[in-house]
Order: sequence, then structure tokens, then C-alpha cells
Amino acid sequence: MIRGGSSYVASAPSFSNDAKKLLVCTGNTVSVFSVATGLKITSLEGHTAPVTTLIVVPASTAAQKILCYCWTASLDGTIRHWDFSGPELLKTIDAHVPIYSMVIPSLLSEPHLTDSTKLVAYVSVEDASLVKEGSKELRGHIRRFNLAKERLPRGDTLKETEEPKSIVISPSGEFFGILHKCKIHVWDTVTSGGSIRNAVSKKMTLHHTKVINAFAFHPTERIIAAGDVTGRVLIWRGFGNRKLALGSQKKNVRSVVDLDNPGVRDGDDAESSTTWHWHSAEVNVLNFSSDGEYLYTGGREGVLVVWKLDTGKKKFLPRIGSPLLYFMWSPDPTLSSVVCADNQIHLLKMPSMEILRTISGIKPPPSLPKMYEGLASTVAFDRSSGVAALCTENYCVQLYNLLNDRGISEVQVCERNHQPGDEITVVVTAVALSLDGSVMSTTEVKLAEDGIGGLVSLKFWVSEPDNKTFTLSTIVYEPHKDAGVSAIAFHPTRSMAVSTSFGGDFKIWVCNGSDKDSSSWTCHAVGSYKKKPMTAAAFSGDGTVLAVAAEKVITLWNPGKNILLSVLGATLTPITKLCFAGKSEFLVAASHVPKPQLSVWNTSKLSLSWSYELRIEAVTSAVDSSAFAVLALIPETFKKSKSKKNIFSGRDGAILLFNGSDPKPVSIWTVIKGEGGSISFLEGEDDKSQLRLAYVNGSHEYVVFHPNSDETHERCAEGLTGDEETAGDFGYTSLYGKLPDYDKKRLECVESLATPFVSSERPWETIFSGSTLNFPPLQKLCGEFFESLMEKRTAVVE
Amino acid sequence: MNLVNIKDVLTSFSPALDYLALSTGDGRIKIWDTVKGQVQTEFADIASAEETNIYTNGGKGHLSVDYTCMKWLSLERKKKRKLGTSILVLGTGGGDVLALDVASGQLKWRISDCHPGGVNAVSSSTKASCIYSGGADGMVCEIDPNSGNLIRKFKASTKAVSSLSVSPDGKILATASAQLKTFNCSDLKKIHKFTGHPGGVRCVAFTEDGKYVLSSAVGERYIAVWKTDGAKKQSASCVLALEHPPVFVDSWGETDKMGLYVLAISEVGVCYFWYGSNVEELGNAKPTKVSLATEDSSLKQQHKGSLPVIFAAKLQGVLKPGSANAFIASGLLVKPSFQKMLLQFGNDLVLNASKNGVLLPITQSVSKSKKGQGVQNKVTTLDRAHAEDALLPIARVADLQEKKSVQPHSSDKDTDMIEQSQAVSDYVETFSMEDKLRSLGILKGTNEPSNLSYASAIDGIDLEAYLPPKKLKSAVLSMEPSTAFKTLEALASMWQTRGCGGRYLLPWIYSIMVTHSHYIMSREPKNHQLLSILHKITKSRTIALQQLLQLSGRLQLVTAQINKAVGNETQTRVHEQEIDDESEDEEEDVEEHFYGENDNESELSSDEGEDKGK
Repeated sequence: MIRGGSSYVASAPSFSNDAKKLLVCTGNTVSVFSVATGLKITSLEGHTAPVTTLIVVPASTAAQKILCYCWTASLDGTIRHWDFSGPELLKTIDAHVPIYSMVIPSLLSEPHLTDSTKLVAYVSVEDASLVKEGSKELRGHIRRFNLAKERLPRGDTLKETEEPKSIVISPSGEFFGILHKCKIHVWDTVTSGGSIRNAVSKKMTLHHTKVINAFAFHPTERIIAAGDVTGRVLIWRGFGNRKLALGSQKKNVRSVVDLDNPGVRDGDDAESSTTWHWHSAEVNVLNFSSDGEYLYTGGREGVLVVWKLDTGKKKFLPRIGSPLLYFMWSPDPTLSSVVCADNQIHLLKMPSMEILRTISGIKPPPSLPKMYEGLASTVAFDRSSGVAALCTENYCVQLYNLLNDRGISEVQVCERNHQPGDEITVVVTAVALSLDGSVMSTTEVKLAEDGIGGLVSLKFWVSEPDNKTFTLSTIVYEPHKDAGVSAIAFHPTRSMAVSTSFGGDFKIWVCNGSDKDSSSWTCHAVGSYKKKPMTAAAFSGDGTVLAVAAEKVITLWNPGKNILLSVLGATLTPITKLCFAGKSEFLVAASHVPKPQLSVWNTSKLSLSWSYELRIEAVTSAVDSSAFAVLALIPETFKKSKSKKNIFSGRDGAILLFNGSDPKPVSIWTVIKGEGGSISFLEGEDDKSQLRLAYVNGSHEYVVFHPNSDETHERCAEGLTGDEETAGDFGYTSLYGKLPDYDKKRLECVESLATPFVSSERPWETIFSGSTLNFPPLQKLCGEFFESLMEKRTAVVE
Repeated sequence: MNLVNIKDVLTSFSPALDYLALSTGDGRIKIWDTVKGQVQTEFADIASAEETNIYTNGGKGHLSVDYTCMKWLSLERKKKRKLGTSILVLGTGGGDVLALDVASGQLKWRISDCHPGGVNAVSSSTKASCIYSGGADGMVCEIDPNSGNLIRKFKASTKAVSSLSVSPDGKILATASAQLKTFNCSDLKKIHKFTGHPGGVRCVAFTEDGKYVLSSAVGERYIAVWKTDGAKKQSASCVLALEHPPVFVDSWGETDKMGLYVLAISEVGVCYFWYGSNVEELGNAKPTKVSLATEDSSLKQQHKGSLPVIFAAKLQGVLKPGSANAFIASGLLVKPSFQKMLLQFGNDLVLNASKNGVLLPITQSVSKSKKGQGVQNKVTTLDRAHAEDALLPIARVADLQEKKSVQPHSSDKDTDMIEQSQAVSDYVETFSMEDKLRSLGILKGTNEPSNLSYASAIDGIDLEAYLPPKKLKSAVLSMEPSTAFKTLEALASMWQTRGCGGRYLLPWIYSIMVTHSHYIMSREPKNHQLLSILHKITKSRTIALQQLLQLSGRLQLVTAQINKAVGNETQTRVHEQEIDDESEDEEEDVEEHFYGENDNESELSSDEGEDKGK
């Protein structure tokens, strides 16, 4: 089983003390990368839910720099202490509530204190125990937590908010704070030598008129910098002089408005406040340099700005290409890292700010406009080499090797500058790869601005194995007039492709010219069926039949001669996905709006063999066998019922593996983030007959596993797939006890649907012919007429 | 010929084949990412970087390090799979053995002066339980890969050990100087001695089952295959010959089941591949060559020393007998490209060498920029009118169904048919009503203008009138190429539809083809259809030729007999018609086979004249 594609940017990374390693939270694990090579060295495995916080224990002396200890906190409610050189788990503390953020001030303020029993952590947790459904209880808690104890004392809650907030700590360890809308709450940690238990943290608040996105503490002075949604950077100097330092003053200080404090709002406890404005969009990144001379800011524009703190002079690192999420400096003053939203971590050489090295993963999927949701197929697979082509935000298709968990290259689908802050004007709606992986086809939509300038284009790309990329071969503007392309499918053996459109036609494209350089694609045939929107297409395993879904019916064509062979009767709702089950005669169709349905048709008998009422996200079939797999979203009703709650814990999708005509799935795996996911069979490594199944979820994390091997049968509680249960097992029997009911019902109704197809004798046709004089009496006529109708119905029963 | 001889290039694939370590003898090691085709990291000066406190950086640069052998191996750990356990073991000319942790980029361990005089070879079994190194002192060292501790050391030969290899199961060690020796790894007892190589052996490799050892010495143009468990004194089991001395040998497969696959790279960067189900067959096998396309000689001169070659390859797996997957690194050393390819035994392969990474001189860069434009031109752009020649749907189902839908009316006992037709009959009613009519309408619409255009195209040519060949030729010559092409199209379609007799058309077609052949060739895609149509018609008519001739002979005979009997004038008319057909066919034949011979037509016409005379 291969897992990969994990997000490197879910939470802030951290450098080791010698600045040779970079620790990155990757889902349930922490990955340790080498700064020198950018390769993964090791990973800390043990958490069962995403890791949210990573604190490397700082070194107080030069000799300690080789020490590699860190603390992690996770949503699984545990805090763990690791030695990441090993890697070795040293200690686990169970807090029982999901931890969203954690700071340990004493690590910073008293680095010599290595005894973990005296450590005090402040954590941001979500306590849902008291919260009932729908009530407006404050579920986010900031709590003080003695790491020596196993359980969070309830009394130590400092603040309650609607949602768990992330805690920011000052580099000196003296203060920490959280953001709350337009306010910053700051506490001081008790550094006095008194006993920790009795000390109560003092709190102060800074106000702003806009929602604050990020803030940071100055390493040595009492300065707070904050960035808001409009792009302003505010700097408060000398905060907390009255409340925090003196300690004795009480809350009535608020009434005293000190006029000497320029820019400070509402009598906040600060000496002065200044505003810097450069960013045009929201500021997400704020960090002071380690010596406190500079302030680094960044945001949606993808530009890292360095401000000199006392003069306000700026330096820029532009064209990073994606919104910035974090900026971390390392113990080595010549090295820092910046984390981008496109799943990349850039290591920067300071102070010149050139990108030394980039650690990158699969880029996140693009945010599609509403109209394309659920219709776009933004992931395609090359079965032989295990390469996935994934659409990304910046109008690119990223080629990613799933087997090695490494990006190969990016293909710029359309020539357009991408500015991270810009509004999206082009959408790559579909990508498809031919079976041998030599041809890629993409379609993009240039969104109309005020009704002008919309353009659909279809592109064919040929692979260049030398450069590991694709080059453009043919571009078709407006392949289906103004209508959008709904699906692209490639012929399994010939260089032929089909594109279907919402405008009611499909086109078969062929590549002429055997030479790779001079080949171009031309339209071979056009077809339509009753001018109905064509929503999906698939070639049969041997390529002799093309199935095109015309809304609710499936039309079967001879792709070479463009002959309509047959029509398969109607489903209830428009079909969105079509797939032949390998080389068998079964055709899988899926539809979901407004009523979801998975139906399997027998093309030799032209009839429905079975169907389920399941919402299907993706369908794939094996090339040789009749096995096929679907990615289904688990219906809400199943999820809510209490008995199954623990089965579906956090999982919203299921991969069902079927074998041909059998409506009973061979095996089932539940998955997380199934919506927007995609699945495909991949050829086995050594033995081609041993298939592997690849699943890419909605946030482009993936897993590759052998559907038939024992490896996946063992339960893996964490991760993408888990809880594999073959049909007939306890958990799923309830689900599958119910589904056959649908099945039967649907079969019945299909049979009743089939009735109009019966061409019976129709005696009334002959009755009415002839002169009116010979007309039989009305009673007789009626009787015969209705009798004929009745007859017709009996004829259905075979 | 090569500035950097691939003899001096050290290469080693990572066990998962996702990286290639490459060292060209300047003390730097480049790690190429074979998935991306990019450099992942470069290691230079590892040793001194590690020891900055001890040595000053001034004296020792990376050039002072001379790597002589390299081996990438992944260490097995209990829980972890491949992460963090991948090390690159290097031997230096100074006699040190060092291991580099590739992922972290740090020196893992180092044994200084392991082999005084230089390390010549390192090897390990697939499990990498221990590393063996051989050096100029004739010693072989067994090293623990995790710690870098020297476990054992023994004298394998009085001369320098030039190469060594461990069998995949880790039980047998083969060392080679001029003499090849095998040792039992557990007790280091000598098993065999193979003599025959004249000089130092450069490469040694075990087959997968450990039953055979492959070896080749410096300068030898063959690989010797030795049986490991044979008699004490024996000669090589078989010898695989190649055109240049090999620098690298790899093998796959077992003698019993899958057969043996041997892969070798020669000094000039050509990859050889042998396959045999057993050793005898292997010995008789002719190697399959994989080479890079030889560039034009001008390039060769300009970039002497940087010729693209195949410099690393590894067998990956066997697909079916006789064909194996191989991972090949080829191209220039500055910018290799990596390919996984299927080697079919018996099919020589020529790979395209990419010029990437070559610093092109100015003349070249101009051509390159032109090429860049060419690349842009190569992109075909289709606008809205792309579907004009596309096939329209054929309502065959409708036709079928009309027949079928009649059937139930007439014979309702045909129950089998009902089931088949019920689904479609519903459809037929709807489809044939709208779409069929529409498609017919479109067909009509396209047919009429095309006919008109044909008429206009051949305007000014009186087809019916007979022109002497010379006049016809001049008339064709006076035509513009484009109009001539149009005329050709029109004539072809007329011939096809039999709008006019071939007798009148063919001289024109023939003449146009001769005179305007260049233009026709330039209009390739469109023309291709046209030519194929013409070809088809001529083909179909030549087939009928023989029968027609027979028929005409028969008719002649009959008419002659009738003529004798009756003496009627009608005879001549029939005869003339027949001759028309005949001549037409002959002309087609002519057109196909005897381009450039104009006389045939005159002959034919004279024939006609004779006939008429009769």
C-alpha cells in the first residue's frame, strides 16, 4: 500500500536546532526532510488524526544543538514527545479532546529546564462534550495544561470562543495570544519563580476595526504586529506596560484614555500603533526576524515583503505564485522557509531571499465555479506507469507519479498569467489520458466577463518521454459551438477520442499522421441523439462500441462508421458517468442530480441488470477482467443512524468493488474526503494481472493498494482508507441488507418502464381503418381497444 | 572520440530506480531524479565539508577526491521501508571507503585507508547485510553497512582486485583480478578459480540464481559466462561477443524457469541484450542492440566529446519470454534522459537522442529558434468549422428497425425478435423522424454545391471533344496549379460518378497528374483522399478488365458470326461500344503502370480508328 500526496501545508513546519532538518506536519504523521537535499529522511508515526502543532524543543547551548526532541499535538487528543533523530516516541499524554493548537512557553523562557514534568502547555481545544447540537455554546477553549498530568483540568480554561483558535507565542516565551475577530487577546505566562499552579495568567486585549488574520510577537521588545483582511499591517509598540508588567493594576485601567498613545484604539494598553499598507489583499503571514530587526509579511498575492522595523523600508520576494501561509526562520541565519498554499515549501537563502530548494507535493485542486461542480473530471490516470494528471489552480495540469510520490512536471494548459490573488477567469474542466498514456486531452472554459469573451477549447497533447511532459498537438476552439464539453474519453487501442457536450452532440476525433511530429487531430464524426445534452461517454474494452449518455438514455454507437447501434432505456436522472466493465458486456452508469443512482446495464440484452441508489463520484474498470470499482458517497441517512456512527467516523465515502453482473460488492473500503475524489485501476508492478487500485481524494491525497491482497484487509485505523470489510461482515450487512430492496424495486420499475417498448399487435389500428359505415358499435370498439392494451401488458411477462 | 569516456563515468541506480547517482570523475556526485529528469542534489566535497574543524578548506577541494567505484544500496530496517536508509557507498582512489546518506545528504561513515593504493570495487547482496570492497592491495574487506565497521579482511589475490561481486542471495563472493575467484561468504573459503582473462576484469556480475558469473576484462570484446558450481577446472560455459568492450553487465532471470537475460553497455555507449532459455542458447544468441540515433556528422564534429550515449541501464523485469523491461539512462552526461523501455529480443532499437543540455553554438541556436517556430506551427488549430468533413450519424438502426417493425405486424410469433427490437423500436420512431430527415437534408445541401463547383472547375474544357495529346498537354500546362488541382478533383468525381466516359476523362487526369505533380504532392492531406479514390477506381476497373476483354472477344465472335449470316450494320455499333469500354480500361491500366508514356493513347486511338474502319 502506498500513501502519498499528503498536504505539507496544513500547519506550520519547524526547523531542527541545527537547521539541517525540516519537520513538516503531513496528515497523521510528521515528516522530517533534509534541508540539504530536500528528501524525506524519516517520519514520526503514531498519531491517529492530523497533527496540528509541532514544537521543536529549542537548544539553549551550542552543545544541545544536536538534540532532536519535539512535541506534537493532534486532533486525536494526544500530545506526544519524540526524539526525531531516531525516530522514537518518548511519551504520550492523552488530553481526550481534539487539540487545535498548543504552545509551551517554558521551553522558550527556560530552555535549560528539560524536565518535562514541570512543563506547562497552553492548548486550544474543542470541547464538544457540553455542546448540544445547534446550541451556541462556546466550544473552543484555551486551557492551561500541566504536561505531567494526564487530563486537562476544567478549571484552567482561560478563554472560550466559538471555534478553536490557534495560539501564537512570543519567541521569548513571555506572552501568548489568540485572535478573535477584530481583537487580539494577550496573556502573559508566569515567569516568576512561584509555583505554577497558583499563578494566574493576566490578560489584555488590543482592538482593531477590521478582522485580523495573523499576528506576531517581537522576539525581544514588547511589539505586536498584526495583519488584517484588507492588507494593512498594524504595529503596536509597548503593549501591556500597564496590565501585564505591573500586574497589580486591575481592569479599571480601561477608563483611563491616554492621549499620548497615537493610533491606539479604545484605550488599549499600548504605547503607540502604526499602520503599514502595502498588501492589496489579506495578510496571512507575519513573522519577525530572529533578531527583531525585520518583519516578514505575506498574503494572497504571493509576495513576501520584508520590512525594516524602524524605518519601514521594504524588500520583496515576488512571483512565488501562490498565497503564502507561513514563514519560518531557522536557527541558521542564512536559511528560512516560506510555505505556500499550493502545497510547496520553499527554502530561502537569506538575506538575498533566493529559493534554494522546494519541497512540493500534489497541488490542491482548483476551486471550480458553481456550475462545474460535480461535472468536472479533474484527475486522469495512466494505468501502466502510475502517473496521475491533476488539474491545479494555476491553469496547469500536474503530472504526478503516484508510485514514487513525486511530481514529474506541469503542463501549462493555457497561456495566461496566474496571479494568486486574481479572480479565476479560466477553468480547466476536464483532463483525460489515453490508455497508453501517450496522449492527453484537456478542455478549458474561459469564463465570460459580462457575457462577453467566453470561449471553450479542447486541446490534444502528445507526450514527450524525454522531457517527461506533454506538448500541444491540436487545439480546437469551440469544439461544440458555444456549449461546454461535458466529458472526454479515449479509445482503448486506436488514437481516437470522443468529446461530448451539453449542447446536444458528441464528436469523435481521430489523429491522422502516423509521425508523431506532424500528427494532428481532426473531427471524424459528429453525432447527436434527439438534441439531448450529452453528458458522458465511454468506449468498450475492445473499442468497438462507444456509449454516449444522452441525458437519461444511453446510446451505443459504432465509433468508426458513426452508426447508431442501439439505445438503452432510460434512467431516472441524467447520467454523469459511464464506464464499461472491462471487456464484459456490462455498462456502468452513474447519475446523481437530483436523485442519485448507480445502474449496471447489460448491453447484450439491452436491459438493466441492477441498480443502487448511491451517489457515485467516480467509476473505474479493469481492462481485462469484468471487475469494476465505484467511489460512492455514503448517504446521510446511513451516516446518521447511531449504530453505524463509529463505522463511518469521519469517513464520507466508500469504494465498492464489484465483479461484473453480481450486485453484491466483493469488498468495500471506507474513505475520507470522498467528495471530488477519483479512483482508477493501475497495472501491477511485476505482474500485470495483479491490479492495484488508486484513490485520490478531494484534497488530492491518495492511496494505492491491492484490492485483492491481504495487506489491505488488516485494518488500518488511520489514514485514507480504513475499515475494509468484505460484504457480509457485521458493519455493512445493515447497509447491504437494505440496498437490495432498492435493487428489486428499481428492477421492477424498469420492467414496467420497458412495457412501452413492446410492439404488440395493436388491433385498434386496423379497427379504425375502413369506411365509417363499417364502424363497429362503440361498446365493442372500446372493449377491443382496451383489451388490446391489456394484452400488451401481459406480453411483457416473458 | 569521447571527451568523457564512459569508462570513467560511475553510475548507480537507487534500488527503486527512482534516482541515479552519477559521477564523472571530478569528485562531484550528482543525484538525478529519474522521475522528473532533473538533478535532485549535487554532492561535492563531502569529506572536507564534514571535517571543517580539522582541515582547512583551502587545500582540499572536491577535485582532490577521486571516486573509483560506487554502489547504491538501501538498508533494511525493521519498521521503515525505504526512507532514510538509502546509502551510497563510494570507494576512492586514495583507498577510503565512504558511505553517504543520500536522503539527508550527510556522510554516514568513512573508513580511511581501507585499501592502500585505492579501492577498486564495492558490492553487496540485494539484502545489503554487508558490503564487500576490493582494492589495489589485493585485500577484500567486509564492512557493516550501518555502522561502517570493518568486520573482516582477507587476502583474495596477490594482485590488485579489479572487480568483485556478491551473488544476490549473499552466499558467494566473486573477486577478480585477471583471475576470477569465487569464495563462500560465510567462511571465506575459496570455491573456484576461473582463468582465461588476459587482463584485469572490469565487470563481474552474478545471475539472479547465483549459478553463473558473468565477467569481462579490460579491452575484451566479449563477456564470459562461468558456471559457479561446476568442476574444479573448467573453461567458460559460453561467451557473448559484442563490438566494443563492455563496461557494465547486468543480468536477470534464472536458468531454469524464465531463461537468462543479459544486458551490457559497451565503451561507446551502446546497450546489448541477450536472451536464452539456457546457457547454450544464450551462447548462440545474437545480441539485440539498443543505440542512440547517430547525429548528423556536423554535430559530431562540433560537439566532439559530448556525444549522446547510453551510459546506464538496468533490467527491471521480464514481461514474457524474450522481452524484458529495462530502465535506461541515455543522452548527454550533462542532461541525461531516463526511459523505461521494453526490450524485445531480436528487435534492435534506436533511441532518439535529445539535444537538451547542449550549449549550442550561434548557428545552431538560430536553427533552434527556427525550430521553436516550427514547434509552434506544428500545433494544429481548428476553428468552429472543424466538423465540416465529419461523418454524420448513419441511421442504420432505423433501417434495420423498419424491417423489424414490419415483422411483428406480419408475424407476431417471432417472440425472440420482439425482445431485441422493443428497446429500439421506440427509438426508431423518434430518431428517424427528425434526425434522418435532417441528415438527408444536409446531405442534399452539401451535394448540390459540390456538383456546381465541379461544373465551374472544368468550365472551359470541352471534355467531349477529342484533343490530340500535344494540345491537351499544352492546355494542361497553361492551367494554374490550383485550378488544375480543382479540375483534377472534379474529373475524379465525375469519373467516380460516371458523369462522363472514362475515355474522355482519363487523358485529362493523366496529363494533370504528370504536369502538376508537385502541386498535388504539396496538397498532401486533401490529395491523399483524392488519390486513394482514383487508385480505388482504377483498381476496381482493372480487375474487371480481363472479363471485359473476354466478353468483348465473345461478342466480337458472335457479332462476326451474325454478320456473316445477316450482314447487318448494327454489328459495328455494338462493337464500337465494346471497344469503348475496353479502351477505357486499358487506359486505366496505363495510367497506373506506365506514367510518362504518351504513345499508348495514340495507339489506342489508332486502334479505335481501325475498329471504325472495320
